[in-house]
Amino acid sequence: MVSKKLKVTNSEGFHMRPATNFANAMAKYSSDIKIKFNNMEVNAKSVMNLIAACIKFGADIEIVCDGADEEAALQEAAGMIESGFGEE
Amino acid sequence: MRIIDLLQKGSIVPTAQVNSKAEAIDLLVDLHEQAGNLADKRAYKEGILAREEEGTTAVGEGIAIPHAKSEAVKKAGLAAITVPEGIDYQAPDGKPSCILFMIAAPMDGDLHLEVLSRLMTLLMDMELRAELLKAQTAEEFLSALDARERERYSEEGAQREETAVSEKESTEAREGGYRILAVTACPTGIAHTYMAAEALEKKAGEMGYTLKAETNGSGGAKNVLTPEEIQAADGIIVAADKNVDMARFDGKRVYKTNVSAGINHPEELIEKIIKGEAPIFHREGDEPAEAETVGRESAGRQIYRHLMNGVSYMLPFVIGGGIMIALAFLIDTIAGAPRDSDFGAYTAAAAFFKTIGGIAFGFMMPVLAGYIARSIADRPGLAVGFVGGSIATLGCTFANVAGDPAAVSGFLGALIAGFAGGYIVLLLKKLFSFLPSSLESMLPVLILPLFGIILMGAFMCFINPAVGAINTAITNGLNSMGSTSQILLGCILAGMMAIDMGGPFNKAAYVFGTAAIASGGFNVMAAVMIGGMVPPIAIALATTFFKHKFTAEERKAGLVNYIMGLCFITEGAIPFAASDPLRVIPSCVAGSAVAGGISMAMGCTLRAPHGGIFVFPVVGSVGGYLLALVIGSLVGMILLAILKKTKTAA
Repeated sequence: MVSKKLKVTNSEGFHMRPATNFANAMAKYSSDIKIKFNNMEVNAKSVMNLIAACIKFGADIEIVCDGADEEAALQEAAGMIESGFGEE
Repeated sequence: MRIIDLLQKGSIVPTAQVNSKAEAIDLLVDLHEQAGNLADKRAYKEGILAREEEGTTAVGEGIAIPHAKSEAVKKAGLAAITVPEGIDYQAPDGKPSCILFMIAAPMDGDLHLEVLSRLMTLLMDMELRAELLKAQTAEEFLSALDARERERYSEEGAQREETAVSEKESTEAREGGYRILAVTACPTGIAHTYMAAEALEKKAGEMGYTLKAETNGSGGAKNVLTPEEIQAADGIIVAADKNVDMARFDGKRVYKTNVSAGINHPEELIEKIIKGEAPIFHREGDEPAEAETVGRESAGRQIYRHLMNGVSYMLPFVIGGGIMIALAFLIDTIAGAPRDSDFGAYTAAAAFFKTIGGIAFGFMMPVLAGYIARSIADRPGLAVGFVGGSIATLGCTFANVAGDPAAVSGFLGALIAGFAGGYIVLLLKKLFSFLPSSLESMLPVLILPLFGIILMGAFMCFINPAVGAINTAITNGLNSMGSTSQILLGCILAGMMAIDMGGPFNKAAYVFGTAAIASGGFNVMAAVMIGGMVPPIAIALATTFFKHKFTAEERKAGLVNYIMGLCFITEGAIPFAASDPLRVIPSCVAGSAVAGGISMAMGCTLRAPHGGIFVFPVVGSVGGYLLALVIGSLVGMILLAILKKTKTAA
């Protein structure tokens, strides 16, 4: 299992578009991918779960990947969040 | 914000007849338009379509949430339709979409994400999805949604609060309610009330609890606790030096203490509630609300609290009336009226001010006595105390019921009348407790007022000659006091104002000052007020000229103290005194005492018991008064500069 802590940098947080893109990107990995936020564990492959978690700008989150392709999954997930999903 | 606040019944169409994504969007946009959410329908629809271009807003599981955050939105809102057979919305899971919510979000605020989040949380529930799809009417749809939202967010709200309070929810109206409630009140209701409320709210935030504080200040109660909030809370902290409405806390855990405990030990108080150590409060019939706490409260504190309750109601009359009377004299002075017995009512304008002011002033004793009695015996005490206070001003005796000038017992008599009135009513309640419950309602409407006032009248007529003599002696004593002892009195009273800055010493001196006004000792009040003005000003000066003795935060607070001091709000000095009492308090006391002494020596007089710089125009020998203020403040400042340790490099 690998994990990484980071901050949400896009000003709108996990709204629908980033959540959809993120969940779609994660869906191609076989690993379990979760986001720990506010004492919750959120399934990163579910758009609904991601949006329901209400992860806002500046939130401290931790991505946890567990499985065969965990390294690659973590790298892409962290990349997406750190780049602010290509948003501002 | 709740979903159902954003979703009107008229904006829901269950089992809509739409066959494509485009038709669904048209219908939803129309619903928003009808609800009056949109400023520009076309621009909004373009926003929706542009968003769909970027990628579908269907999230799978048969749900789609088209949305746009746009200038074209006038007010935030939701519209919803269900399509039982489903339409193709290019969902990621390939399934048709059958529940569609459309969000209209204005440009400002976080609303967008929160609505989305909450909708998603609710819609993850399969049962709710089934219920929504089954709904045949807008009412059914809405009530299913509302029921689930209530269920979910009343408990989840509370849980989330405990784990993380970083969210801004603690300040919003919360469905979960507040865990702790507080009521703060002090007699003057200017500074302590708010400081205690702030301290409690801040500390609770640090400790991770939600707390709402009601302030019973001079401007009336603010941020008032609602019955629902009281019902939902773990307990209530009452940090008050005057009476607050307690009846509403029946059956809850209530911890009662003084207002300074709220400022200085907020953590302790909060823990009392959280750990359930506070006793459960019961209101018993018509008994005075504070009866429950008497056991833990010393007799001295009780008397202080009743007295302050009376004083706080009396002050507005004295302030308004006193200033008006002083203005009357000012007007006649300017008009050059002859200084005879008509002085102050010589010109028409002066006569107006003096008469109206005099009427207001005339309520001083009855209100004082009435509200002391009410503090002791609740509502039935009010009438009895009022009458007693009036008798004290008139000087009624058995020998001369119409009133004997030598038997006017004044302030002292009104004080006694207030306490006597309260206890007479309590006694009557005890005496008539044998009444069957069917006759009990006779007590407040007939027995207490009638017998209370009869007894009160008899009691006052009996004590008036003796108390009147004492009152006259005090007045004469004050007036005939030699200049040395007057200066000494000024020093002592002004110094007392600075000892605890709003506490019992301060209040004792202050009440003495207002009492002196009632018997013509205007120089006493002048010394008292200046004693209360010096500490904040001395501190403000020190923060300006001796910056290195204070932290950056203190220096900022220092500026506010100029204003506080000039407005006669001694409480401004409290934060400084609290952080370094052994150095700050003696400096302030010395400065105040010097100012009080000078004020007396200069023969300054003040007919109004409050107002600071704003009543300077009506101060007698205002030049000397200003001089006293300046010298006193400088003395305080210099002492602070000498005594205080260096905090930061200059």
